[in-house]
Amino acid sequence: MPLLQLEGVSKKFGQVVVAEEITFQLDQGAAVGIVGPNGAGKTSLFGMISGDIRQDSGRILFEDQSVGSMTAAVRCRMGMGRTYQVPHPFERMTVFENALLAAQQGAQAHGQKSYDLAFAALERTGLAELANRPAGSLGLLHRKRLEMARALATGPKLLLLDEIAGGLTDPEVNELIVIIRGLRDDGIAVLWIEHVVRALLSTVDRLLCLASGRLVADGPPSEVLASEEVRKVYLGGKIINEAAI
Amino acid sequence: MTPVDSHGLISIRRSTHSPVITMVGAAVLVGLLSAAPWIVSQSLASILMNFFILVIMATMWNLLAGYAGMVSIGQQAFVGLGAYATLYLAIKGMNPFVTIPLAAAACGIIALPITYLLFRLRGGYFSIATWVIADTAMLIIGTIALLGGGTGHLVPGLSNLSPTALTDAEYLATWIVALLVVAGTYFLLRSRVGLVLASLRDNEVAARSAGVRVTSARRMVFVIAAAGCGAAGAVLAISQPFVQPGNEFNLQWSAEMLFVSMIGGLGTIEGPILGSIVFFVLQQSLQQQGAWYLIIFGALAMAVAIWQPRGLWGAFRDRFHMELMPVGHWVRETKRPK
Repeated sequence: MPLLQLEGVSKKFGQVVVAEEITFQLDQGAAVGIVGPNGAGKTSLFGMISGDIRQDSGRILFEDQSVGSMTAAVRCRMGMGRTYQVPHPFERMTVFENALLAAQQGAQAHGQKSYDLAFAALERTGLAELANRPAGSLGLLHRKRLEMARALATGPKLLLLDEIAGGLTDPEVNELIVIIRGLRDDGIAVLWIEHVVRALLSTVDRLLCLASGRLVADGPPSEVLASEEVRKVYLGGKIINEAAI
Repeated sequence: MTPVDSHGLISIRRSTHSPVITMVGAAVLVGLLSAAPWIVSQSLASILMNFFILVIMATMWNLLAGYAGMVSIGQQAFVGLGAYATLYLAIKGMNPFVTIPLAAAACGIIALPITYLLFRLRGGYFSIATWVIADTAMLIIGTIALLGGGTGHLVPGLSNLSPTALTDAEYLATWIVALLVVAGTYFLLRSRVGLVLASLRDNEVAARSAGVRVTSARRMVFVIAAAGCGAAGAVLAISQPFVQPGNEFNLQWSAEMLFVSMIGGLGTIEGPILGSIVFFVLQQSLQQQGAWYLIIFGALAMAVAIWQPRGLWGAFRDRFHMELMPVGHWVRETKRPK
């Protein structure tokens, strides 16, 4: 049974097509990367999977259950954890409380169990030392880690990572890669949007390429990056734009 | 997931400092305020009563706006309905003091269906709609002849007490309601629900994706705030004791809730209480100044909004790192992780 299935998912904002007949599936424990130029509809795709925005048509199944009309909170409780490209920390709560909320609501843990789950997520992401710091005082790297810790504390089967490496230095990216590979090795499926292709290639075994809301390639990373179609839309985005005008 | 086994690695404390001092302080304060009618002048006791009513309302408004992001300017709907529930039950022969919890419950029940209408709206539209609901409630109540229509009605059943005993009873009722509301809010915010409310306060999008049922949480807050304002309306009715639509459903109640919560500090328990203290101190000292009284209030609100958006309590807390009513979770590692 695939963990996640998208069948002909489409979405428009006015005249702007952000998703057109997107179909793919993701197996349990798989690690899949998503690339594509800016405005390709990558984050919107995450929004539809996680429930922040509703698709116009098509079906989204999580563990064979149609989730297309469920709220983000319900999908989270079913096992979808997501991070945001621009971190959304609960600024006036401590780092620990950020993870604790996710453990108590997303994973529905109680009492000491919720404390342990939250703290384990902080340890996993290297934030344990900062547990009592207000989240608002964190810098970018730690905010990105906190996004991941919070997603992790919900006890996910699927982790949706949205440009988690964006804006970080190379050594910082390397630290994140180690963490993400550890999660993948523990059997958590990872769907990862990233512009830092180097980071993706070290971790994923499959790559999807989106352009103008369409899925233009899907396969092993080396094949996808080598394909003519992807080179055209992703690496030569300017030419396409000029052609369109 | 298979987390690192950290079972028993950590313990959680709910406050950064020993709670003993705070608890002793709270006990002394509760004792003093409970005995106030017998130790302070009658005029001060009556000021304290109005202060308690404002604390109740502001604490509720803070839950609504400071935590759940619902800027209501129509809370006077529930102040009014609470007052009229007390009036109605008293007319039906019930002891007015017994009606207080019933008035609160009635307002909570009325608020529930209203949320299904209101929650379709966001931001400014939500605020305007709360005001419309308050005015609608006022107009409907004003048509009911049994409740005195537009001219109002005296709450019956209070004249069998002597004037002093009545004032004392009114004081105690108001004080007990305020104590229950503040203590209840404190325990609510310390619970799992408190963490949910704090997450809504900080970032609603992130709360959703962390598994928070945002709409249910907001609905619960709206109902609680309605019940609290209903209780405030009930004690208001008893203390006045003439109940009139234009007075109980006055927009000024919401303006005062908003003002004191904002200058005190939204999203903290202590903020609205501190704000209410500031409000009453200013009001008592500026009463003689006529229009200046309002001008100074307005200037203070603007100054706080510009320079101290977290309110006076926020400024105080940031500087001294102390909380009177701690609701946080502080991690203490019992065994060092490697």
